[in-house]
Parts: sequence; C-alpha cells; structure tokens
Amino acid sequence: MGMIKYFTNIVSGFWNLMVGLSVTIGYFFKGTTTVQYPEERLPLPARSRSMIKLIYDGEKDQFNCVACLMCMKACPNNCIKLEGVRQADGKRRMTTFKLDFSTCIFCGYCVEACGFDALTFVSEEYENAVYKRGSLLQDEQAMKWIRPIQPANQEVLK
Amino acid sequence: MMFTGENIVQIVSDFLHWIYSQLGISSLAGVIDPIIAAVVMFLFIAVFVMFLVWMERKVSAHMQSRIGPNRVGPMGLFQTVADAIKLTIKEDIKPVHRDKIPYFIAPIVTFVATFMGMVVIPFDKGMVVQDLNVGILYIIAITGFTVIAILTAGWSSNNKFALLGGFRSAAQIISYEVPLVLSVVPIIMMTGTLSLTGIVEYQRQAGYWFIFPQIIAFIIFITSATAEANRAPFDIPEAESELIGGFHTEYSGVKFAMFFLGEYIAVVVSSSVAVTLFFGGWLPLSFLSFLHIPGFIWFLGKLLLVIYLIMAFRWTFPRLRVDQLMDFGWKVLIPVSILNILLTAAVWLLLYGKKAL
Repeated sequence: MGMIKYFTNIVSGFWNLMVGLSVTIGYFFKGTTTVQYPEERLPLPARSRSMIKLIYDGEKDQFNCVACLMCMKACPNNCIKLEGVRQADGKRRMTTFKLDFSTCIFCGYCVEACGFDALTFVSEEYENAVYKRGSLLQDEQAMKWIRPIQPANQEVLK
Repeated sequence: MMFTGENIVQIVSDFLHWIYSQLGISSLAGVIDPIIAAVVMFLFIAVFVMFLVWMERKVSAHMQSRIGPNRVGPMGLFQTVADAIKLTIKEDIKPVHRDKIPYFIAPIVTFVATFMGMVVIPFDKGMVVQDLNVGILYIIAITGFTVIAILTAGWSSNNKFALLGGFRSAAQIISYEVPLVLSVVPIIMMTGTLSLTGIVEYQRQAGYWFIFPQIIAFIIFITSATAEANRAPFDIPEAESELIGGFHTEYSGVKFAMFFLGEYIAVVVSSSVAVTLFFGGWLPLSFLSFLHIPGFIWFLGKLLLVIYLIMAFRWTFPRLRVDQLMDFGWKVLIPVSILNILLTAAVWLLLYGKKAL
C-alpha cells in the first residue's frame, strides 16, 4: 500500500511540475505587455486629470477668466494667486494668474468652482517634472491653453 | 570538402604546426597545443556564458511578459558585456577578519574545477580537447570538486550567512552527486564505455538517442545537475531571501564574477553531458541529415535547448526547503535511479540474453 502511494506521489508530483512548466513556457511564447514609455505611450482617458490649464479664447483674444476669485477661495492650499481689473466696458478681466504647482494637490476644486469655463484639466500634459522648484510656479502665459476645435470630452468635466 | 568539426580541427592544427616549424619550436608542440586549446576554450566559454546570462534574463523576462534587457546593443546583447566590465572595475571589498588564503583561492578553485570539465566535452566528432577513456567519470569527479571551494568560501568569509550557505551547499552537492552518478550508470551499462565520444558513437550506430529508452535517467540527471549547479529550485546555498548571497555574500568584484562564471560553466558542462548522453551529442536529426549542418552546430543547438529547460526550471519552480531537498534527493531520486538501473539491466538481459554480459 505504502509502495503504491510512494510511486503515485512521484508520478503526480512530476505531472504537477510539468503543468507548471507548460504554463511558464506558454507565457514565454506569448507576447510581452511592456510599454516602453519614452518611445511608446498609452493613450490617456480624455478625462484624466493631468495638468490644470487656463482656457484662452482665440477668437476674442483673451482668457475666459473674469477674476471672480472663486477658484482662489476654493483652493484648499491657497496656491492660486489671482488679480483682475474692471475694464472700460464694465467687465472684470484677469490680469495676473499664478498657480503654484509645488503646493497644488490637483484636487480639482478650482476647476469645479470656476463658473466661466476658464479653468480645465488637460489630459495630454503629464510630464510635469522640473529641475527647479521655482519652475512650478506657473503664470497665465505658462498655463495658457487653447481648446482644440472639436473638444473631445472636456465638456463633460464642467 | 565537408565543413565538419573534424576538418576544422585538422586545418587549425596543421596551421599551428606549420607556424611551429617556421619558428623552429616543433619540439614544444606537446606543451603549446594544450595551452592554445585551453585559451580557445576559455574564450569560447567566456563569450558563451555572457550569452547565457543575457539569455537567462531574456527567458525570465518573457516568461513574466516583460521584455528584458534591450538598451545596450542590439536586443540588449551587450548588456552582460557592460555588466562584466562593471564587475571587473568594482572595488574589491574584503572582510577584515577573513581567512586570507582560502578566501583568495576559493573563487579560483570553483572556476577552475568547473572549467576543467570542458576538457572532455565532444563538440563534434574529433572536436574535443582530450577524449579521455574515463570521460564521464572525470567530469563527475572534477565538478564535485566545487563543493570544497564553496565550503572554503563560506568558511573563510567569517560570516554566518556565508558559512550556512557553504554547509548547505556541501550537504546538497554530496546528496545529489549520488543520483547523478546512478542516472549515468544505465547508459554506461548499455554502451560499455565511459568515453563521451564513444557514447555518442554508440548512439550513432544504434540509430536512436538514449533519451528514448532512458527518459527516467534523463529526468533524474537533469534534476541532479540543476542541484549540482546550485540553481533554483535547488539554490538553498545562495537563497537570497534567507542567506543574502549564501557562500558568496562577502565576495565582490572580480571574485564574485568568478563564482558567477563558475555557476554558469557548471550549467554548460552538465548540459553538455546531458546532450552527449541523452540527445546524441553532435548527431543530426536523421530526417534533417541531408542539410549537412556541421555537427558542432547541432551540438550547440541541443545544448541551448537543454539550458533553456534548466532556465525554465529556475523561473517556474519555487525553492525547496532544506528538509524537502534532502527528502527529495534521498527518498525519491536515489531509489528511483536504482530501480532504473535494475530495470535497464533486466530489459537488456531479456533483449540480448547472455551475450550482453
């Protein structure tokens, strides 16, 4: 009895090892899943929150921002500094806009708070590493973003 | 003229002896020839081991759906060259309380002992450094020598992990030497020769490879050979998660490279023996013999296949515990290999009767 169990153990153990080998060797001949990042990139979902941008209206040649300061108040880290002036036609316009990305946590409250379609998340720009901390303090020119002709899914964000 | 290993050896030796006669040192041929053979063999094995390290990394990568090294050179082929250069220019850090002479000698011994096994490997008919008539015995004896080096390395490092690794290695290699030898015995019984060339010649005359009648012996041999080379799943002497690096914990730079090289040469030697004993060495597949592919190409192809199998073991099976390792060696491999010998002898007697004796 013990003899039979001894041999069946050996055979079943050997069989199990072969099953394991067939799995790994099968994977050896399957393709790889690696994306070689700097050369190859995966497409990001349109709504992914990569970088906050100020929307610039190309037709009117001005930012959409009217300096209502809602984003500044919504920001939990106080990383938005924003000034505006009342123009001759009585409408307020943003003059300076500074967002310190070194303290920004990309919570998106400012984008949510904005009632004038002036702030948005952009999915393409995700390589935001810089060499100096000061470079993270971006002004309106650095954050200027013109919406493509056919906005993909950015509307859904609002 | 056929482009075979024998002819290449003939041409090279004719050329060398012509040079000797021109230099007037023909009388020294017996001294210089082995040196040249050793240098050629060393260059071959160094390049081949570099290729194998690259291959191992590629095999492991593809088994895990990764790509593996692909930056240095085409398909990352020069990655191991870069690694070797890095290892050689690294600082050689030595523990202060080491046992100086054994510490220095151990990596050399482990490298030399495995490298000497290459002497009797027949790459092709006549393409062998020295066709000893006790070839297989010589290889088993000389590769068993590594256990002394590993034990020495573990002891002289003055490090508890290294010492544990050395002891484990000694226990493991001594245990697995037995089934290794016993798995070769049926082949020797069938062929009646210990010479590796002779064994291949027998397979050529018989018209079949020994893998077919001796599949059990092959499985035992490849298992014990993996254990002999201290490779996973039998890598308890250098189990990273338990013993840091095992016996080579305290070695760095060139000395570490020697151990590394020794491990891979051990794989090459035991795979070569497996190819010679079970896969007909340089013999071509009979239905492909019309292609006239040189024998050493066949040998290298089969060698790479066997090495691939050993690599697949490493990246498939989990490491055995020490007691499981001993159980497996003594309670499974040795009885089964003894049974295999008896079975072979019985079948041999039934088939050929008394004249087989």
